[in-house]
Amino acid sequence: MSFTRLTTDDFVVSADSISSTLWTDGSPSLTTSFTSSAQAAGSTGDFYLNVYQTAATESVQFALTYGNSMGSGSAVYNPAVDGKSPTSTVYGQWQDLVIGDENTDFVFGNFTSSEFFAMPFERACYKEKLFLGSTALTISGSLGTIQLTDNSNYVTSVQFNEAGRVFQLISGSQGVISANANDPSTGYTSDSGSYGWLLPDIGAIILNPFALSGSLAAGGCGFIYSGSGYSGSATYTSNTAAPSQMFRAISGSLGGSINKPFFINSEETITSDFIFVRPRSSEYNYSSNPSFISGSTGEVLYSNFINNPQTYMTTVGLYSDTNELLAVAKLSRPLVKDFTKEALIRVKLDF
Amino acid sequence: MGYLNNSVVTVDAILTTKGRQALAQNDGSFRITQFALADDEIDYTLYNPNHPSGSAYYGEALQNMPLLEAFPQETQVMKYKLVTLPRGTAKMPILDLGYNAIVIKQGASLAITPQTLNYFGGDTFETAGYTATISDVRLFNSFDGVGINTPEVQALNASTTVGTSVSKTVVGTTINLRATTVNTLFGSSATSLYATLTVVGRDSGARVTIPVTVNKAS
Repeated sequence: MSFTRLTTDDFVVSADSISSTLWTDGSPSLTTSFTSSAQAAGSTGDFYLNVYQTAATESVQFALTYGNSMGSGSAVYNPAVDGKSPTSTVYGQWQDLVIGDENTDFVFGNFTSSEFFAMPFERACYKEKLFLGSTALTISGSLGTIQLTDNSNYVTSVQFNEAGRVFQLISGSQGVISANANDPSTGYTSDSGSYGWLLPDIGAIILNPFALSGSLAAGGCGFIYSGSGYSGSATYTSNTAAPSQMFRAISGSLGGSINKPFFINSEETITSDFIFVRPRSSEYNYSSNPSFISGSTGEVLYSNFINNPQTYMTTVGLYSDTNELLAVAKLSRPLVKDFTKEALIRVKLDF
Repeated sequence: MGYLNNSVVTVDAILTTKGRQALAQNDGSFRITQFALADDEIDYTLYNPNHPSGSAYYGEALQNMPLLEAFPQETQVMKYKLVTLPRGTAKMPILDLGYNAIVIKQGASLAITPQTLNYFGGDTFETAGYTATISDVRLFNSFDGVGINTPEVQALNASTTVGTSVSKTVVGTTINLRATTVNTLFGSSATSLYATLTVVGRDSGARVTIPVTVNKAS
């Protein structure tokens, strides 16, 4: 016989949470970022700007988009219809996805906003969700820089909305409030609430432009977008002006004199099926390998193999009831088997 | 394909093409219930029972050899199974198909009845039958196993294969095959199609692979 049935004791299912860096090249932080002029000039450029890790613009890391309930920040679809532009479409899209109510605006901390920047990460990068407490995102403005992280280390009751868990973006780095935060107890600005939201379950960050546009004294960095300054709302401009400005605010912080790379990690749950394969002492001591026999008659190669055969297992095959090979495992080196040896091999299948 | 790092003993596991297909079918056919062991890549002529340093060194040339990563193609792995036989076995079971190679004309039929030699002291037809795997099922209009009527074997033999160039496995005491009548498989200039037929004794584990050629009818 060449098959052994597995019993229920031979199977163990395990689910492990694995965190890793989010960026495509596996480095712990994003130190350079690029956009594609072709993508920006194309039809999708009216709505969002893809951000890449290399100048070759091969692997998207995240996108940047701007939403405004009034349609400001981009040219209207039709001059005869006021307020309907890509930014109003983006606003409605995220309002539906995150809030689930078309009549409710975004509330960042204690500040209600009818506009935002969104940063949805590439699915292949964030895998299943964003890893809490790993964010360090620096935004540069005309007045200086502000580094942001999530407040997951400081909340006792997690807030939920239509996009799952919601954490406020605060002044700080990798889960720790900055000692220089405008409000050291919350990490918020003094008059514009938090800096946005971290939405780990949909792999996105939403930024509050009012908090970033504020003065240094108010906790902002003087971030200016679409020529509006801190006047309340963006003005009408052509397509991707606002996302481009946010891209420059992020990209300009990664290196150079500011030199603050973008840190954020991904998290996923890997379900593994452990299968324990246990060949007993009396089993699998002969081989159907053609080099195990001599000539065409089937005689074993060496006379001492008749009573003391030795085999060298290299491969474990996992089969269905109908003897179909469903999975295969290779050992890194041969394992000797004879009538005096038993083996225990743990095979791990990840799903 | 690459070599596995053998400085420590690890196990590199992957799903086979058949396993991925079973998962995709989402009909419960991906259910691992048994295992087998193989010694693919081992050349027992490297075993040296005359080693001057003694019996501890007989397998010196084998036990530290680097091994290749697993292949996903199920017909290319688990080629040489380890088998459980009584101590004192002097002759290994070997399969006799009656053919060293199959050359068949387009549309022609053939029946193969394997026999196991040297099994439990003689030549026998294994009661559990034989597993036959054709490496490219497109070469045959029909590829059937008959003679074993257990529910799981009937389910296997009734299953269909979706896709191109995918192997098919059937079980039986006799394997009936009929070569394809489809001309397009030959393309514009080919006159023959090639595959391999692997037959394994379900009791003995004995295995043989022979080449299969389907010649285009003129």
